[in-house]
Amino acid sequence: MAKYFDVIIVGAGPAGSLAALKLAHAGLNVCMLERGKYPGAKNIFGGLLHNTPVLNEMLPDFWERAPLERHVYTKVLAFMTPQSTVSLTFENETFDNPPFNGYTILRPVFDRWLAGEAVKAGALLLCDCTAEDLIRKDGRIVGVTVKGREGEIRGNIIIAADGVLSFIAKKAGLRQDFKSSDMGVGIKLLLGLNEATINERFHLVRDQGADISFVGTTGDMRGGGFLYTNRESVSVGLVVHLDSLKVAGKASYEVLNEFLWHPQVRKLVKGAVPLEYSAHLIPEGGIDAMPQVYTDGMMVAGDAAGLCYTNGINLEGINLAMTSGVMAAETAIKAIQAGDFSSRMLSLYKKKLDDSFIMKDMKTYKNAVGMMHLERLYQTYPRVLASILEKMYRVEGVPRSKLLRLARKEALKEVGLKDIITDGIKIGRALL
Amino acid sequence: MNIENLTQLTQFQIDELSHIIVNKEICKTCDHRACVQACPANCYTFNEETKLLSVVYETCLECGTCHVICEKGALDWSYPRGGYGVCYRLT
Repeated sequence: MAKYFDVIIVGAGPAGSLAALKLAHAGLNVCMLERGKYPGAKNIFGGLLHNTPVLNEMLPDFWERAPLERHVYTKVLAFMTPQSTVSLTFENETFDNPPFNGYTILRPVFDRWLAGEAVKAGALLLCDCTAEDLIRKDGRIVGVTVKGREGEIRGNIIIAADGVLSFIAKKAGLRQDFKSSDMGVGIKLLLGLNEATINERFHLVRDQGADISFVGTTGDMRGGGFLYTNRESVSVGLVVHLDSLKVAGKASYEVLNEFLWHPQVRKLVKGAVPLEYSAHLIPEGGIDAMPQVYTDGMMVAGDAAGLCYTNGINLEGINLAMTSGVMAAETAIKAIQAGDFSSRMLSLYKKKLDDSFIMKDMKTYKNAVGMMHLERLYQTYPRVLASILEKMYRVEGVPRSKLLRLARKEALKEVGLKDIITDGIKIGRALL
Repeated sequence: MNIENLTQLTQFQIDELSHIIVNKEICKTCDHRACVQACPANCYTFNEETKLLSVVYETCLECGTCHVICEKGALDWSYPRGGYGVCYRLT
């Protein structure tokens, strides 16, 4: 295996496959290296493929052909204490019509399909290939060595789309060591449940799906829970910050177990059959934790570039990945036309990211990273919220207080006024 | 549910070579052994008597939690050779 390509893409995930598709459409000689037996074999996420304009442009009929589970109709944000749930449900008829706002998908199935689209367009896919090291010539990256199917492969441009733990970006000197304060780990259990039961339990009809985020379900750890409905299964799991997992002294799967035993979660998954267990890291360090995204002969896209953000309400990554993959491909096309693979030429990629929603959103929610590190967000505030509502609803022949007075009293039982104010400022700076 | 059952749900193509190597000397200097609790697949065991950390790489989900959490760098961790390791089918 030794051949020369216009572009080598490391990783046939969403960023890599869409980059390959774009390059193949332009008639370029492109090769994808995938370390799994097939694309998606190493990939998991919670479950939501967001509406992504570049995907719709490149594969206009993708929503009819792709292996999608359900379109998301119901969005729920639920604050939990061990006894209670306070939830905000949003249902919207416009989410029930195409173009849909998002679909639940299963990654081993979807990623394999997406890579197949790139192959149909003319890209070469080499599975069983773990990229091990970079080959340099005259200061420029010109190829990678591979373990699995042993050998080396060379090209004009490398696109590193090798995921959150991008050893390729690190070997290229584009990033520092991975830090636990910049990462979350997602652990997930896929549970089989029949279609009629899912529809009934989550109040859905036809292909409608539900996306539920839980806060307050990760014990002493900073994190959250999720539940996504697929056609005949539900994806449930937790995401916890690695730095808080490190000091928790409790295993994450034990916390997952407790989550599934919560009385209000248990009834959602009752009778479900465990199908598959999985885990994956998530880049949650925001814009400040991003690596440099280009150098001589190489660009970095998707999770590898740390393109992912959460503000507690939005949780986006796959759409940023695919869009960045296409932008890297567009830059590669220009660079190949010009015969210039220097970092100066490839800096066009960064400019494209900066001018798009990708870096704009990463900047808008720059302060959300700090907010998500507020310990009180995960147990204390859900408890305050639940106790306010409990007092509001409980009828027991005791004189009532008006809402503000009640809220103040319940909040001050748990948190000092000074802390409430500093937390409020942090939350405000992140979201308002 | 316990963890033995959980990883049994997942498919692996087991390599004869481990992709995780514990550097015993560095590991000895660690005061938290967070890898033992943090690993979602329960791959690590610390033996209190021998003071040695052992790893079962065969059921590793390749998430990299241990690698990131071990700030001393005692875990020489890389992705398995192409085609080996965890192989998700459904998730």
